[in-house]
Amino acid sequence: MDRLQKITVLTRLVERLKAHESWCGETHIQKATLFLQELFEVPTDFEFILYKHGPFSFDLRDELVAMRADMVLEMFPTDPYGSSWRITENATRIQSFHKQTLAKYGEAIEFVARKTGGKNVGELERLATALWVTRREKKFSTDEERAERIHQLKPHVSVEAALGALAQLQEIERDARCLSATGSSSVG
Amino acid sequence: MLKPFHEVRDPIHVFVRFDGIERDVINSRPFQRLRHIHQLALSYLVYPGATHRRFEHSLGVMELASRVFDVVTATGALSEDVLDLLPPDAVNDDSRRYWRRVVRMAALCHDMGHLPFSHAAEKELLPAGFTHEHLTRAIITSQEMEQIWGAMTPPLRSVDVVKVALGPREAPDLHFSNWETILAEIIVGSAFGVDRMDYLLRDSHHTGVSYGRFDHYRLIDTLRILVQPTVGGGEADGDENAEAEPVPSLGVEEGGVQSAEALLLARYFMFSQVYLHPVRRVYDIHLKDFLAQWLPGGRFSTDVEELLRMTDNEVTAAFRLAALDADAPGHDAARRILQRDHFRVLYEWNPDDVRVNPEAGCAIAEAASEKFGADWVRHDPVPPKDTSLDFPVRMRDDRVVSALALSRNIAHIPPAAVDYVFVAPTIRRRANDWLTKKRQEIITPKSETENG
Repeated sequence: MDRLQKITVLTRLVERLKAHESWCGETHIQKATLFLQELFEVPTDFEFILYKHGPFSFDLRDELVAMRADMVLEMFPTDPYGSSWRITENATRIQSFHKQTLAKYGEAIEFVARKTGGKNVGELERLATALWVTRREKKFSTDEERAERIHQLKPHVSVEAALGALAQLQEIERDARCLSATGSSSVG
Repeated sequence: MLKPFHEVRDPIHVFVRFDGIERDVINSRPFQRLRHIHQLALSYLVYPGATHRRFEHSLGVMELASRVFDVVTATGALSEDVLDLLPPDAVNDDSRRYWRRVVRMAALCHDMGHLPFSHAAEKELLPAGFTHEHLTRAIITSQEMEQIWGAMTPPLRSVDVVKVALGPREAPDLHFSNWETILAEIIVGSAFGVDRMDYLLRDSHHTGVSYGRFDHYRLIDTLRILVQPTVGGGEADGDENAEAEPVPSLGVEEGGVQSAEALLLARYFMFSQVYLHPVRRVYDIHLKDFLAQWLPGGRFSTDVEELLRMTDNEVTAAFRLAALDADAPGHDAARRILQRDHFRVLYEWNPDDVRVNPEAGCAIAEAASEKFGADWVRHDPVPPKDTSLDFPVRMRDDRVVSALALSRNIAHIPPAAVDYVFVAPTIRRRANDWLTKKRQEIITPKSETENG
């Protein structure tokens, strides 16, 4: 995926997150991008590590700043929590040159925006950490083991809440597979 | 009588003080090598005063790191909600002494793995994914340094020095506690890291430009460890488990906001005016071209011993010789550096072109290479560096709010980035005429259907 295609995917994601009433702060974009990469293998190729509020990509942070410099994203202050992001007219223009990319990944983007857009940071943190533990830490094979691991990583998340996040994740993964079976997006 | 403390004069911080065992680190072979690594690579060819080295910068970072550590861990500076998030013994007297030493040593050693001429040739001349931070880590954990850490009272764990010197981004395989993350933020944090504070002040002093100055005394006095307000309303559904993890990070008291704004602006101006100056950038490119031909295999070794043997001095001697010998590897690049026959700007980032195509520089570089030949064209895209504009601010009424919500200035500070296309002086006029005629055609993105 070249950089203009990456800009197309990320700006469409921001656009759809906002359409689904997301706050659209950096954390929301970070977690939604992780879901795009992990559930649908969208090749945006950002490296994630476990950091503040769960999986986080410094590369993606750099790209968001670069996209702000290139005037396809805007950051605007929103009381009292900080900043939200929105796309510019230039982003819409770049998207118009990349109809194939949007046709290929549009449904996956819409799916992720729908599933994550209405969630707050706390919910996204639990869900993304559940995704991380399930997919990156294979030595935990049962939901109980994974829930304990999530609690260990994020002590403020109870084991019960972690089990809830895992159940929610499994539902999202199921729906993603259905979308893949009927649509153009592939499931990772 | 043995002196308990030693001091060196410093143009920025007046005195930098250290004790006997810390002097052993300063006297170590890897640290002394930094006397021979220019802080700003070949910038002295543009700003003649910029001949300062990583050595004095590292001493300055140690000095500032201890000042910040003392301020943020002082009695009364840590609020109850922050103390709840730190290890129970984080700031008792023994632990505080240990971590203060870790912070000072991490600050001192944070640049020890730098290649000759600092960042100039790092990306292209090391294996993919390998950076000077990997080398810094290898040096901190080397036998030579382990002996010094072991002789300290109490002995330092090298892994603690590594974590605090590099931070989670550069050491993703290590687990960081909240406390270790905060201590790393003191040194390499993207908002208030003292690495940044020192290089802005020091580079400003040596280049002779005043843009990098800000009131660091006031800023440091107002720094606090604060819990970042949760973005997006974690309390929305009334479920306490929906709350996001309370995350401590470095922030400021309300009275320090203007000093913080000044730091962020200083950074923007220094990048725009000094670090991203086109002639400085093109000298880096000529140096890289020289090194790619002069180094065995065209790359730096990742072996620590070989690295420690090489400094700017060996490279400078080599390119001075190569410039005089038409048959020497890297002759043309060396000659361009010595004779100031550097490539000239054909294109630079500008809002009009970027509105049409964020990759306008790339499109122009490709078209120019095709038209004039790749040997006469160099592309130098420099995306903005990791910059977090947001940080928590403690208001006078004890509320903690986001700086972006509070400050009318911070959100408007633009990211500092450039994108240059350079061409050889001999084709400059022809290339300019060509670009004037073809600009719109070249930069308009191709539709994916046109590309097939």
